[in-house]
Amino acid sequence: MSNIAGKAYAMNVITPIRWYTTWTNKLFFKAATLLPSTLKGLQTLSLIHYARWVIIPRNGFPHLDSSQPKEDLHYAYMLFFSNFNGSWDQYVDSFTFAIPSGLDLFWKWNVRYPKSVPLTPFHNYIRHNQIDTAHYYNAYPMAASNDVKSAQKIKKALINFNAKSSDKSPEDFLQDYYQLLNDLQHHFGDMKPTPIVSLSSYEVKKRYEQTQF
Amino acid sequence: MTKDLDLTDIQGNIIKAYGAYNYQKARYLFLRVNNGDKGRKFVGAITAKVTTAISWNKSGNDPTVEKPTATTNIAFTYVGLKALELPTASLRGFPEDFMMGMAKRKDILGDDGPSAPENWDNIWKERVHIWMSINALNTEALIERYNWVVQQVEASGGGVTLLTGHRGDNGEDDLPYQEASVLYDESGESTPKEHFGFTDGIGDPVFEGQTNIAARVLGRGKLMRDGSWAPLATGEFLLGHVDEAMEYPKTSPSPTLLARNGTYMVYRKLHENVGTFNRFLDEQSKSFPGSKEMLAAKLAGRWRDNGAPVVKAPDDASKAEWDKAFEATDFAGKKRMLTDFNYNDDIHGAKCPYSAHLRRINPRGSLEYGVTDAYETPGALVNRRRILRRGLPYGSVKDATRDDGNHGIIFMALNADIQRQFEFVQQQWINYANDFKEGNDKEVLLGNHDAQHPGKVVLQVEPGSGKPPHFVNNIPRLVETRGGDYFFVPSITALKLIAAGMVDPT
Ligand code: HEM
Repeated sequence: MSNIAGKAYAMNVITPIRWYTTWTNKLFFKAATLLPSTLKGLQTLSLIHYARWVIIPRNGFPHLDSSQPKEDLHYAYMLFFSNFNGSWDQYVDSFTFAIPSGLDLFWKWNVRYPKSVPLTPFHNYIRHNQIDTAHYYNAYPMAASNDVKSAQKIKKALINFNAKSSDKSPEDFLQDYYQLLNDLQHHFGDMKPTPIVSLSSYEVKKRYEQTQF
Repeated sequence: MTKDLDLTDIQGNIIKAYGAYNYQKARYLFLRVNNGDKGRKFVGAITAKVTTAISWNKSGNDPTVEKPTATTNIAFTYVGLKALELPTASLRGFPEDFMMGMAKRKDILGDDGPSAPENWDNIWKERVHIWMSINALNTEALIERYNWVVQQVEASGGGVTLLTGHRGDNGEDDLPYQEASVLYDESGESTPKEHFGFTDGIGDPVFEGQTNIAARVLGRGKLMRDGSWAPLATGEFLLGHVDEAMEYPKTSPSPTLLARNGTYMVYRKLHENVGTFNRFLDEQSKSFPGSKEMLAAKLAGRWRDNGAPVVKAPDDASKAEWDKAFEATDFAGKKRMLTDFNYNDDIHGAKCPYSAHLRRINPRGSLEYGVTDAYETPGALVNRRRILRRGLPYGSVKDATRDDGNHGIIFMALNADIQRQFEFVQQQWINYANDFKEGNDKEVLLGNHDAQHPGKVVLQVEPGSGKPPHFVNNIPRLVETRGGDYFFVPSITALKLIAAGMVDPT
């Protein structure tokens, strides 16, 4: 069990929300998607792969079979799902100070939400309502989301470069090559294993790896 | 908002970088507590001479407090506090990082290979309980105070032992103290240099409760949306005060009297591979489009000769201009030119590269990447990662082509939360760079570069200029850890409680 795979951290948080106020949340979600500037902070925090908030109505939980007992829920629930690089403990400060009003807006109507500042009650609220990840697969454990974005950019630029410059004279080719390096100068970071996210998860990983041979 | 700190309750090394007050010489001592009762008596004897943060008499001030010729400060490891028999209920309130101590955090700090604990000075093979520092205006005062401490150790009747095992200038490995000193130029004048030739000790965070804030806060506090600077919250550096998260630091042990006005200190002996650094700089500057000094400046974020910030003087020509303006201005103007800057006009790192020591360690507002109003405040990702720096160079360079002399920096960082502040910077910003979108590229000067797979960094240029960025390749390990630990620096009140065996968290 770990919320960590490679450089990524998976976060599922499910929090109760009064069913008769869920429409306000839906309104905020809508507004946020229509007005991208409200998500500017979230997007600038480049360690975040993505973040998604969903309202699950009181009677909206999956009922797969008639033999499954029906639950009688008093609340609707808000599911928050995100993958990011680093861990919640390491980066809670970054989230809280970068986008406190955004976080407050999304969780505002949730039962017992304490607000994002001061930080400890917020940190505890999320930890308390977090569903730890039982199984987590990561196809590119050495890649942070920035590495993926950079790799895509480099690949595209190289293909274009090849098409545009491969037949040029050495002087012109060199000039294009320099231009290419200039265009890509923020995308050359090395990709190596993750820094240790926590000593406990590091120990878990070491023990797991020992069982693999 | 103004806030008054109880300066007589706070240890002086927290508030003052003694080097800046002309204390040119220092000795750091480490002790073991053998007996709780006698150990507490020793702490009591030392406490009587501990230097507080009170402002010293300057001309025109209240002449009651004279500047001492030597200062003394004291701090404890977790095992030290245990040996002094603090109650369990107090001990368990300390944070995990402090409880574990530095050696066990090696995988987080990147202390591997030549920096691994098995290669540290002998003293770290023992359990260190107490750290003491003596800073002095001159060697006589230093020795006098040192002898006084040794007397107290003897008077403890075996209660405490002064530990030996520091490496020294003449190949010793069993010295009973770590010596440190400012460096001197050929004429014997003291300088603010360290062994790689950089000018150090310029910027330190400014926080609420310090004196003379208006003059000092520029470039040193937290950057505000309107471009001004405000002092950081006191609780980032002192327990028992509100921090940037509008709460009391959660690293505080109980009772409050034990925690308040205390803080945590990271002590690290950092060896500098001077020969390798000089060769590396010579080699790299052959292909660099600019002078060797310019390249050195790009690595650190400041020019070696006078500390000019690279973001304000990004190449040889602009440095000459900067120097002229610097010459022409008065003392206050000089201070301002050295500290009052941010990276807003250099979003792409063309002036000060992302990988420069200064920018990695305190990116100011630049993690917004020029996105207008991206975060609540420009320093959102930085204000919780600041550290106060103390310490001095140690040793001397006898042969600038070699690495194996005795030369480096005694680095001490003070912060309320070691994991959130010091360790985060060391791990995420020095040895890793995702926040800078530079993948695993390590900071050049301090990174734990791997000899088998040496890393590189990119020195950015102006986008759209058609010029290629400069790649610094084959970076060797320039700085190695030679020892260190995590310490709790109690207030005077807490010292008295510890000494009296009266810490009571009930
Ligand atoms: C041998 C090791 C080191 C050397 C040679 C070195 C050198 C320097 C130099 C030349 C400066 C610029 C002067 C100034 O702004 O005061 C500086 C600034 C600084 N250094 Fe280091 N340093 C070393 C280790 C460290 C370590 C281990 C840390 C923390 C993890 C650190 C944190 C800082 C900080 C916070 C600043 C001020 C940055 C700012 O506020 O803009 N240094 N260092």
